[in-house]
Amino acid sequence: MKFVAAAAMAMLAAVAGHAQDLGVLAPANLTKTRPKPTIDITGTWFIDLGFPGSWRFGPPYPKLTPEAQKHFDAARKAQTEGKVYRDDIGQCWPAGVPLIMTRVWSISMVQLPTVVYMISGFMNSLRVINLDGRPHTDPDLIVRTFNGDSIGRFEGDALVIDTIGFVDHHHWIDSGIPASDALHIVERVRLVDGGKKMQIEYTMTDPKSWEGEWKVTKQWNRVDSRDMEIAEVECLPDLNSHIPSTQSKENVR
Amino acid sequence: MRFKGFQRFQRFLGFLVLASGIATPAFAHHSAAGIDRSKTVMLVGTVKQFGWQNPHSWMEVDVPNEAGVVTTWKVEMTSPAFLIRAGWKATTVKPGDKVTVKVFPLRDGDPGGLFQSVTLADGSTLTERAGAPRSSP
Repeated sequence: MKFVAAAAMAMLAAVAGHAQDLGVLAPANLTKTRPKPTIDITGTWFIDLGFPGSWRFGPPYPKLTPEAQKHFDAARKAQTEGKVYRDDIGQCWPAGVPLIMTRVWSISMVQLPTVVYMISGFMNSLRVINLDGRPHTDPDLIVRTFNGDSIGRFEGDALVIDTIGFVDHHHWIDSGIPASDALHIVERVRLVDGGKKMQIEYTMTDPKSWEGEWKVTKQWNRVDSRDMEIAEVECLPDLNSHIPSTQSKENVR
Repeated sequence: MRFKGFQRFQRFLGFLVLASGIATPAFAHHSAAGIDRSKTVMLVGTVKQFGWQNPHSWMEVDVPNEAGVVTTWKVEMTSPAFLIRAGWKATTVKPGDKVTVKVFPLRDGDPGGLFQSVTLADGSTLTERAGAPRSSP
């Protein structure tokens, strides 16, 4: 009986401890004294299709691991046959970071002192980047996701975002290049052209899928008109029943 | 992005789709590699359903053959945001309308395809492209 009481006390203490960690929208956290952000990426952004590479991350591609190479070769084979390889997004799996950032849909970003919320117009994918100084989520507690566990800090004129904690399935960097649970992405976000454009330099490592660092830079245009705002977009259970190409027998599962 | 910018963007998208062997429409929620863009099929029939929704609008068209046997074709379209810029409204087509729909068919031969244009009963034609205004009969 004493053991049960002690366990209950310990549990309450743990809960109380967590309660002291303020959420990003807690007024006491939002108003906490901290260095002024050097950039504000609040706005609606649209991938710059005129920028080299635009909506894909390669080629060039890094040297792939043998397991990833199998997927890559199978995807290229499907491509030459006019087929699609593992079109998971078409089956309503999330695109995930980094691919979600390059979909040809607007992305709205709301920057607060403690957090950046990114909502993609594509399936309303939510990405949370914590700016309140917290470390990454404890590896024993992390809930792996397609957009990962992101923390950001300001370095000069850049917002530097560090992201880990990705899922290890149905998640692709480009067609045939799988992302694993070892994926680690560092993004350097900068505003250019007087804030009309946003550039992100990606440095990606994933020792389960490729060797070394994979560096890519992408650019987005600020879009301020009402017709470029994000809207409610979901992949509903009946969506693909009306979209025949998602059910084509030609698709390579 | 202003309207002219959007038109340039659409032309660029068209170039991408033509130039890309894998034909990955990043603006769609899926790859359209299962679509045969080398062929065009004209569907002369009656609208069974029209879905005005994100991320894709869609249409089902009942198409009778010479023997009078009706096949329902599933036609996938772009999002309402794109269609609005091309002159569409949610009421542009409705069940029962007589239409001629031009599609790129599926490679696998099933009755489905990717929308190119629709000609309505009044003779006017609509596409998905901004800058391609509704033509008069």
